[in-house]
Amino acid sequence: MDSILLRARGTPDSQSLTTYLAAGGYNAWEKVLQMTPEAVMNEVTLSELRGRGGAGFPTGRKWSFIPKDHPGPRYLVCNADESEPGTFKDRELIEHDPHLVVEGIAIAAYAIKAATAYVYIRGEFGRWATILGKAIADAKKKGYLGKGILGSGYNLEIVVHRGAGAYICGEETALIESIEGKRGFPRLKPPFPAIAGLFGKPTIVNNVETLACLPHIINRGAKWFASIGRPRNTGPKLFCVSGHVQRPGVVELPLGVSFREIIFDHCGGIRDGHTLKAFFPGGSSAPIMTADQVDVRADFDACAEAGSMLGSGGVIVLDDSVDIVEAAANLARFYAHESCGQCTPCREGADWAMDILERILAGHGREGDLDQILRICTYASNGMTICPLGDAFSMPLSSMVKKLSGEFERRIAAASRLPQKKKPVLPWSGPLPGFGQ
Amino acid sequence: MTTRPIVSEPAENLCEVTFDSKLEKRIADTLKQYPTPRAALLPVLWLCQDRYGWISPGVMRAVAQRLGENPAHVEGVVTFYTMFRTRPPASYVLQVCRTLSCAMCGGKELAEHLTTKLGVGFGERTPDGLFELHAVECLGACGSAPVVQINDDYYESMTPEKIDAVLETLTRKA
Amino acid sequence: MPKLTIDGRVIEVAEGTNLIEAARQAGVAIPYFCYHPYLSVVGQCRICLIEIDKQPRLAVACATPVADGMVVRSETSDRVREARKAVMEFLLANHPLDCPVCDQAGECLLQDHSFDHGLDTSHMLETRRTFAGLERRMLGPHIVQNQNRCIHCSRCIRFTQEISETAQLTYKARGNGVYVDTYDGTPFDDPMSGCTADVCPVGALTVKEFRFRKRTWKLRSVPSVCPGCSIGCNVWIDHHEKVVYRLSPRENAAVNATWICDYGRFLAESLNRHEVLRPQRQIDGQLQPVDWADALASLGEVLDTASSLRVVASANLSNEELFLVKTLLGGARRADIVVPVWTGEQRRMKNGSGAWLQSLDAHPNAAGARRLGLRLVDHGGLARFLYGAADVTVILDPLAHPFLETDEATQLLRVGTTIVFARLEHPVTRLASWLLPTPSLACNEGTFISQTGAVQRFAAALAPPQQSRPLWSILMALGGELATEELPLRSPAEVFAHLVQTEKGFAGLDWETLAGTTDTAQRERYHGG
Repeated sequence: MDSILLRARGTPDSQSLTTYLAAGGYNAWEKVLQMTPEAVMNEVTLSELRGRGGAGFPTGRKWSFIPKDHPGPRYLVCNADESEPGTFKDRELIEHDPHLVVEGIAIAAYAIKAATAYVYIRGEFGRWATILGKAIADAKKKGYLGKGILGSGYNLEIVVHRGAGAYICGEETALIESIEGKRGFPRLKPPFPAIAGLFGKPTIVNNVETLACLPHIINRGAKWFASIGRPRNTGPKLFCVSGHVQRPGVVELPLGVSFREIIFDHCGGIRDGHTLKAFFPGGSSAPIMTADQVDVRADFDACAEAGSMLGSGGVIVLDDSVDIVEAAANLARFYAHESCGQCTPCREGADWAMDILERILAGHGREGDLDQILRICTYASNGMTICPLGDAFSMPLSSMVKKLSGEFERRIAAASRLPQKKKPVLPWSGPLPGFGQ
Repeated sequence: MTTRPIVSEPAENLCEVTFDSKLEKRIADTLKQYPTPRAALLPVLWLCQDRYGWISPGVMRAVAQRLGENPAHVEGVVTFYTMFRTRPPASYVLQVCRTLSCAMCGGKELAEHLTTKLGVGFGERTPDGLFELHAVECLGACGSAPVVQINDDYYESMTPEKIDAVLETLTRKA
Repeated sequence: MPKLTIDGRVIEVAEGTNLIEAARQAGVAIPYFCYHPYLSVVGQCRICLIEIDKQPRLAVACATPVADGMVVRSETSDRVREARKAVMEFLLANHPLDCPVCDQAGECLLQDHSFDHGLDTSHMLETRRTFAGLERRMLGPHIVQNQNRCIHCSRCIRFTQEISETAQLTYKARGNGVYVDTYDGTPFDDPMSGCTADVCPVGALTVKEFRFRKRTWKLRSVPSVCPGCSIGCNVWIDHHEKVVYRLSPRENAAVNATWICDYGRFLAESLNRHEVLRPQRQIDGQLQPVDWADALASLGEVLDTASSLRVVASANLSNEELFLVKTLLGGARRADIVVPVWTGEQRRMKNGSGAWLQSLDAHPNAAGARRLGLRLVDHGGLARFLYGAADVTVILDPLAHPFLETDEATQLLRVGTTIVFARLEHPVTRLASWLLPTPSLACNEGTFISQTGAVQRFAAALAPPQQSRPLWSILMALGGELATEELPLRSPAEVFAHLVQTEKGFAGLDWETLAGTTDTAQRERYHGG
């Protein structure tokens, strides 16, 4: 497959408007301005595009939840929070083709009749926020954004809103709270953002990659897009491959290729002298898959059938050198650090699981520890919390404990009966930031 | 890439804060982008952190006053997000990613190297006030692990040798 | 109205009711920590999980509105019981096991729900989370914080944001390290700060003035009305062995929802103060004790023979007392009666609809005095009244107006015979010809009328100390001594019944229904315990 979303990667000066226009940029936008919003929504629905942020919800359907008769304002939010461990595709898109993202935002905003769009970009991406800000300013100067765009009656302002370091703000209602100037606490649903979102108004939150697909769908048609990939899993997908492969990075492939192809054909396979042990198919929140599952197709439905999820497409590859207990402790710490602290099961559970895993890692595991981890995971997921962060830590931890139980059990069997050492296990162990720091 | 050092205002200058006209202008421009003043809180805090290097209680109070908020709300927000600094920082804040991909691909070794090299632990700073070492969670650049963010810049695919060279450049510049 | 089934009980409730309230109406108690009937719903404690037919996941009852035909299972569902056990275990994982030294014990939701819904053991082996420096600190002048005990329900924070509107409290940090604090540690001086300790379901926030003074299970509660201002907040007088330990809010949606201000709350201690404890008479420039029978007989004679009689009544007196004053002294004896009203400091309270009520004056019953047709006077009016001459002056309550404390007033009262009813030492008690002991509100019963016109009954918590007697009983006894037709009334209830018959402002009212919420079990709904 030729590069579609990443076609500008490698082009000199790909960030500039001139380069983008030379490659046919903003043609889709001009075309859209001649269409009705309903026609745009229809085209996207026909393309069967599914959200690339993690949940894989059909984009056209999500848009259709906006109440038809709402007087407005309505908002489009581009989710560029990209915080899921193992995911680094949105940054790639913004770095190489910021105008593609801007054009995608414009199309989506038009489809849902929003006059303001916010780009919520993670705080650490200061440099990429600047790149995007410049692209927006340049597009506005040329009349592609602003008031009365290209002679139409349509107005659109795009505002880049920088986060400040919080994984949870990738969750759409926490993101909305964050734009509203509050702590990133996810909201109770219903109401869903499409009904009452940003500033209480109908709001659609779409991922950067989802939006980047839109100009292509408009330019080349829904049928063309739907012909890529597999039924109900259409279009190109950016896979972010990290960990123990020869050539980590972002690769663009049709949905439905196998993980074997991604890892071995496109990323050079496992580093020399090692073999594949396991991999996370879609960011660290997806249940882990073991080497024997490498032939599973990388699409939403196949991953779900295999007991995991495609998530954001962040493939984290673990070779045989990896200590699974350490990997589990590492992720548990990540989620404990990123829990917002609102709901009891997630706030208490993530930290508790981290403590148990770090204790096992330190050689002080006990019988019953694994059962307790599984118990925490059971009761922190599946609707036990407001947002899916409870699920996000439960899925990887419980899958690691279940599928690779041998490593945990050996560790516990060899555990010392001596009192626990005070020395930190990892160079960066220590209290959570915030209190006492 | 040349990372600019953070110039931070000492605490004693930030007890009572009055925004200068340049900052006022930028705050006013920011406020225009949102339907509620509260929504401008994160951008305004960023402006302040850029201007003063960190966010003191005095800055929080001034921001609260400007946006018509209670300072408690501002402090609640500041302490929720990890990137707002509530202490005056060193000139260069080194943030080593410690999440899975980076940790597996040399991040742990890099972290150990940095603590030895700088002679400080995580959360600490060098006595000359030049460097401050932090471990942070996933920086979203797992494909070029391990990653170190220094101030606003990403340093990717780091090795002990590469980071040594970076530190040397930064020390020389200072 | 939607009809639904909760744990097998069918109930019909108003549209928009949430499942916690619907279940309560059906007689099913769904446990909760973060939910509060007068605060916004956040759904974060997760103990109110319930199972709804045809829904794969458990839902939180607090945030689920009723729907017609809904079938809900709470304690009848194994899944729900297991999930609640897990939530209890999570909540207790880091909660200190310090109930024996925790002042919340006995009215702690965590204790109660742990007993009803928790495991009898814990799987927690790790070191508990602690908040160094926040274990025992003054958050403000009245609130002691122990953050280690906090279960992160955010009720206190929502209280300051939504009710008192000072927004002084906030969460800081996040995740397991999240804690409650003020901006930069400034004192939490919210005028309703005590309510944050009320809504705190655990011992994380406690009231300095009450802590460690009495184990809560020893307390008995009596419904009363705050005497602090004209708003008339409903309160409980919590007492034990003749001592009032605290005032706590009693639910009344129209007046104070479930709140009281700190000023009112801390009047509690003053209810224990009684300095005038026996009848006395001025003899040779000295107040000498006399016994009640003699005092009443002599006073009857004094009042019967007085050529001119004036009475300074008080807007702090009950309707029943004011009525007796009006009838016994104002009627046949043609006494000139005034009720001084003092504006005082303005207080405010938010009712259950979220509207602020601003106090009009510093008395609980100025509206009652007005409704009884008595003459209300301000500072100037009271002064003019006292400048007039009279043979006998009766002061029913030296605290009726601050003017009575002034030298000017005491000079004026030195003329003629002055009969003073009082509880505390006061400039006018020193000059009294007759000094009669009356007890505090805690020892009295009757009704007040709030500034919005609500007639509210208060009950007596304690017996009057020593020889002091409530004013109504003294007046009724005095009535027996007076040479007029007798009023055959033996209790405030009977006085009130008579009042209903004779005063048109009270027509149709029934003593029995005027007390509002009297079921102490209802406190669990909105308090920590």
